[in-house]
Amino acid sequence: MAKHETPLLDQLESGPWPSFVSDLKHQAEIRAKNEEGVEFQIPQDSVEDLLGVLELSYKHGRTHWKHGGIVGVFGYGGGVIGRYCDQPKLFPGVEHFHTMRVAQPCGKYYKTDFLRQLTKLWDLRGSGVTNMHGSTGDIILLGTTTPQLEEIFYTLTHEMNQDLGGSGSNLRTPADCLGESRCEYACYDSNALCHFLTNEFQDELHRPAFPYKFKFKLDACPNGCVASIARADMSFIGTWRDGIKVDQDAVNKYVENDPAYPPNAGAHKDGNWGPFDIEKEVLSLCPTKCMKFENKTLKIDNANCTRCMHCINTMPRALKIGDDRGLSILVGAKAPILDGAQMGSLLAPFVEVNPENDYEAITEVIENVWDWWMEEGKNRERLGELIMRQGFQKLLEVTGIDPMPQHVAYPRTNPYIFWKEDEVEGGWERDVAEYRKHHLR
Amino acid sequence: MSDLLSNKEESTKAVVDFLTKKAKNKTKFYIKDFYAIFPDDKPRAIKNVINAMVTDGILEFWSSGSTTMYGLKGAGKQHSSEGEE
Amino acid sequence: MAFISSGYNPEKPMENRITDIGPRHYEEFYPEVIKKNKGKWSHHEILEPGVMVHVGESGDEVYTVRVGGARLMSTSLINEICDIADKHCDGHVRFTTRNNIEFMVDSKDKVEPLKNDLNTRKFAGGSYKFPVGGTGAGITNIVHTQGWIHCHTPATDGSGTVKAAMDVLFDDFQKMRLPAQLRVSMACCLNMCGAVHCSDIAILGYHRKPPMIDHEYLDRLCEIPLAIASCPTAAIKPTKVTLEDGKEVKSVEIKNERCMFCGNCYTMCPSLPLADTQGDGIVLMAGGKVSNRISDPKFSKVVVAFLPNEMPRWPSMTDAIMKMVNAYVQGANKYERLGDWADRIGWEKFFEVCELDFTHHLIDDFRQQAYMSWRQSTQFKF
Ligand code: HEM
Ligand code: HEM
Ligand code: HEM
Ligand code: SF4
Ligand code: SF4
Ligand code: SF4
Ligand code: SF4
Repeated sequence: MAKHETPLLDQLESGPWPSFVSDLKHQAEIRAKNEEGVEFQIPQDSVEDLLGVLELSYKHGRTHWKHGGIVGVFGYGGGVIGRYCDQPKLFPGVEHFHTMRVAQPCGKYYKTDFLRQLTKLWDLRGSGVTNMHGSTGDIILLGTTTPQLEEIFYTLTHEMNQDLGGSGSNLRTPADCLGESRCEYACYDSNALCHFLTNEFQDELHRPAFPYKFKFKLDACPNGCVASIARADMSFIGTWRDGIKVDQDAVNKYVENDPAYPPNAGAHKDGNWGPFDIEKEVLSLCPTKCMKFENKTLKIDNANCTRCMHCINTMPRALKIGDDRGLSILVGAKAPILDGAQMGSLLAPFVEVNPENDYEAITEVIENVWDWWMEEGKNRERLGELIMRQGFQKLLEVTGIDPMPQHVAYPRTNPYIFWKEDEVEGGWERDVAEYRKHHLR
Repeated sequence: MSDLLSNKEESTKAVVDFLTKKAKNKTKFYIKDFYAIFPDDKPRAIKNVINAMVTDGILEFWSSGSTTMYGLKGAGKQHSSEGEE
Repeated sequence: MAFISSGYNPEKPMENRITDIGPRHYEEFYPEVIKKNKGKWSHHEILEPGVMVHVGESGDEVYTVRVGGARLMSTSLINEICDIADKHCDGHVRFTTRNNIEFMVDSKDKVEPLKNDLNTRKFAGGSYKFPVGGTGAGITNIVHTQGWIHCHTPATDGSGTVKAAMDVLFDDFQKMRLPAQLRVSMACCLNMCGAVHCSDIAILGYHRKPPMIDHEYLDRLCEIPLAIASCPTAAIKPTKVTLEDGKEVKSVEIKNERCMFCGNCYTMCPSLPLADTQGDGIVLMAGGKVSNRISDPKFSKVVVAFLPNEMPRWPSMTDAIMKMVNAYVQGANKYERLGDWADRIGWEKFFEVCELDFTHHLIDDFRQQAYMSWRQSTQFKF
C-alpha cells in the first residue's frame, strides 16, 4: 500500500516513454520491503514522501522546496545543494533532502562494479534517487540529510577514489563529448583534455575563486554534441587547418547509391527522400559553395571551406577531417539572465592540443582569462558580461592574442572608435597657441 | 604577496575585524569584498588565504547554488532559517 | 536506524581527509574495443533507429544500442542497467549528454539478443524501461532540469512535462523520418540551468508574478542587505512595515514593474516566495541550434508567450509542440533544421503553417538587442 495517494502522478505511468513515476513507485516498494536488509541512514519512506510532495505540487501547481546554502562538505565551497521541504510535517522523509554532485568520468563511460558501488552507497545513505546525469554533467544524488554528507564524501574518496563536482562560484565539472573514443569526427582527444583540465583545476573546482560560476565544455568537432558553444564560459571545439581528406572511390559509391554507403550514415532511413543526389544534398548545401563534382571527382577548395561538417556528416566513408588538428576556443556563452543570452565568441581560432607539454597553449589562455575576470569581474558577472562591459579588445589585450578578421562576423558598423592617446601620432597634448597662429579666434 | 597577506595571524585578524564590523547589517560576503582588505594583492593569493580560513574553521561558505559567499562561522540568520543549528 | 560510520571522524574532519582527486579515470571504464580503436575509427552507420555500428581502421566493429531513459532514475533501475551490461556488454555502459543510455557490444550477433532483452523490459505501469531509438533524423531524449521534484524556483515540473512531451513524440524517437534531427530541451525557470536557449524546440517554465513578502518573518529569517543585493534588476528596497498588531518591523518593498521573476531573492530569503498557481506556466521557444553544420548556431525564439500549467499531461503544450513538428516535417527540406526552415520561409509563414497565434509579447523589448529582431526591410510575406 502506498503511503500517499498520487492520482495525478499515476496518470504519468501510461504511454510508451519511461515513466519516472513507475520507477519511483517501484523504488519506494523496494525500500519498504528491504529484502537486502539495508540499514537505511535516512528515512526508509523518503521515496514515498518524495512522491507525496510531488503529487502536492501537481495539485497546487507550485514547488514545495526551499533552498539551503550552508550545508556542504568541510572545506569545499560546492558540490552540495541544500534542500528543505516546506511541508515537513506531511512529508518527514524528505524534510532535509540535499543534492550531492558527483564528478562524472569524462565521456560518461562506466563499469558496472563502479555503478553498483555507487547505488549501494546511495541506498544506504540517501534516497536512492539520482539524476543520470544533471545538465552540467555531474552524477546527481538527489536527497540526503546533513549528517550523511561527510559520510558519503568519505566513502566516495576512500573507497571509490571518486570526488564531488562543482557548484557555486567555482569551476563547474567540465563536460565533454565522447570524442576519439568512438567518433571518427573527433579532432582531438576530448576525454583526455577534459580529464586533464578537471584535475589540473581541482582547487578552482572545489573552492570558490571567481565572481560567479565558470564552465568548460569540450566538443571534439564543430558538430557540437555537448552544446559547448551555447553553454560554456569557455568552449573547446575541435577543428583542423589543412584540407578535408577525400576518398574518390567512396564518393562515387555514394553517388551510385551503393547500399553500404547510405548518406549521412543512415540518419534519414525512414524518410522518403529518394535516391541520394550529391549536387542537391552536398554541393548546393555547402555554405561556402567551395565544392565541385566533375568527371567523377570531388574537388574541395579547402582554403574557402569553413569546416561546417556538412559534407563529412553526409558522406562519412568518403570524407575525413584533415590531419593538422587542434581546437578553437570560444568564450562567454551564457543563459539569458541578465542581459540576454550570449553565444560563445571566437577568441583563439587555432590552438595546439598537446598532452606532452600539459596542454600549455590551452592553459595559458585559461589563466589569462581567469586573472582578468577575477580582477575585474563584478560580483555575479559572467565572463560574457565582462567582455560586453569592457570590450572584446580588452579580452584580446589580456590574452595577448592579435586581432584578426576571424574574430568578427563583420567589422563594426559605426565609426565611434575610442582611440587611445598612444595610438594617435603626437598624442593628445597640443599647443593651442601654436594653433592660433594659423587659425584666428 | 603583501606582508599583511603573508602573515597568517595578521591577515586572519584583518578579515575577522572586517566581518565583525559589518556583522550588524550583513554576514555573507562575496570574494571580491575581501579584495579591499588586501589592496596590494592578487585575487588568486587572496582567495587562497580566505579559503584556508574556511579549512581552519574560522569562516564558512554559503552557496546560492550559483554563487558562493563567505561569512564568519555560525554568523547570520541562515542557520536557524535553514534548520541547520 | 542505527548510525553507521563510514570511518569519518566528525571531531577531526581533516584526519585522513582525501580531497581534490577528481573523477575516476575514463580509461578504467572504456570497453576493450573502444580502448583498442580509440582515435582510429574509420566510419559509422546507423543500421536502424537506435542501433549504430562504428568501424575501426583495424576492421574492428562496435555496435551501440541506444535507449532513452528518464534522467530521474532510481538506484534499482541503475542496478537493472548494470545487470543488462553485465549480461551483454562485459560490464560496460555509457550515458549520453542527452540522458540516453548506450549499450555496446563487439559483434553483430550480440545485437539482437541485447535489443530483444531491452525491448521486453517494461515498468509495472506499462511504459518501456529502455526504448531503443534516439538516433539520426529523429527526436532524441529531452535534456531537462529539476522542476518540482527538487528545486525551489521552478515555474513548472521538469520530469512531468518531459514525460508528456516524449509520449506524444515517441514515434519520432523510434523513427528517422524528419528532415534533420530535432532537439527538444526543457528548463523549469528562466535561469535555464539546462541552457535551453539554442534548441529546435524549448520548453521553459516561467513565473509571471513578483514574490510575495512575508513581512512578519522576513527580518527574522533573512538578512535584508543580502536579499536586496541578490536582485539582478535592483527591484528590492529596504523599508519599515507596520503589522496588523501595530508592531513595526524591518522588511523590504519590491518594485513590481522591475521584477523579472527570477527567484534570486527567494534563494537568499525564504520570506520572498514567488510560486503561484495562476502566475506560473510555460513558454515555448523554437528554431535554435548549436551545431555549426551548414548554418551558424542560433538562439531559439519565443513562439508561445505563455501556456498555463495543466497537470499532469500539459495538453496545450504538447499540442503546440506537435503542430510545430508536423508543419516542419511537411515543409522543410532534407538536412534543414527547424530554425533554418523558419528563416527560409519567414517567421510570418512559420506562425501561419504552425497555426500559432502571434501576440505582442513575442516582439522583443528586452534591452538593446530588441532592435535587432524588428524588421528593417520592406521584404516580407503577406
Ligand atoms: C543566480 C543564479 C543561479 C542560481 C542561484 C543557480 C542555482 C542553481 C542551483 C541551486 C542548482 C542546483 C539545483 C539542484 O540540483 O538542486 C543549479 C543547477 C544548475 N544550474 Fe544554476 N543557478 C544559477 C544560474 C545558472 C545559470 C545562469 C546557468 C547556466 C547558464 C545555470 C546552470 C545550471 C545547470 C546546468 C544546473 C544543473 C541543472 C540540472 O541538471 O538540473 N545556473 N543552479
Ligand atoms: C555623428 C553622427 C552622424 C553624422 C555627423 C552623420 C552625418 C551624415 C551626413 C553628413 C550625411 C550625408 C552624406 C551625404 O549625402 O553627403 C549622412 C548620411 C546618412 N547617415 Fe549619417 N551621420 C551620423 C550618424 C548616423 C547614424 C547613427 C545613422 C544611422 C544609424 C546615420 C545614417 C545615415 C544615412 C542612412 C545616411 C544617408 C546615406 C545615403 O544617402 O545613402 N547617420 N550622415
Ligand atoms: C552631433 C551630431 C550631428 C551633427 C553635428 C550633425 C551635423 C550635420 C550637418 C552639419 C549636416 C550637413 C548639413 C548640410 O550642410 O547640408 C548634416 C547632414 C545630415 N545629417 Fe547630421 N549631424 C549629426 C547627427 C546626425 C545623426 C545622428 C543623423 C542620423 C541619424 C544625421 C543625419 C544626417 C543626414 C542624413 C544628413 C544629410 C542630409 C543631406 O544629405 O542633405 N545627423 N548633419
Ligand atoms: S562533437 Fe564531434 S567529435 Fe564530439 S561526438 Fe559530436 S560529432 Fe563526434
Ligand atoms: S565542411 Fe562545410 S564548408 Fe567545408 S566543404 Fe564541407 S560543406 Fe563545405
Ligand atoms: S531551471 Fe530553474 S527551477 Fe529548474 S532546476 Fe534550474 S534553477 Fe531550478
Ligand atoms: S524575483 Fe528576481 S527580479 Fe524579482 S524581485 Fe526577486 S530577485 Fe528581483
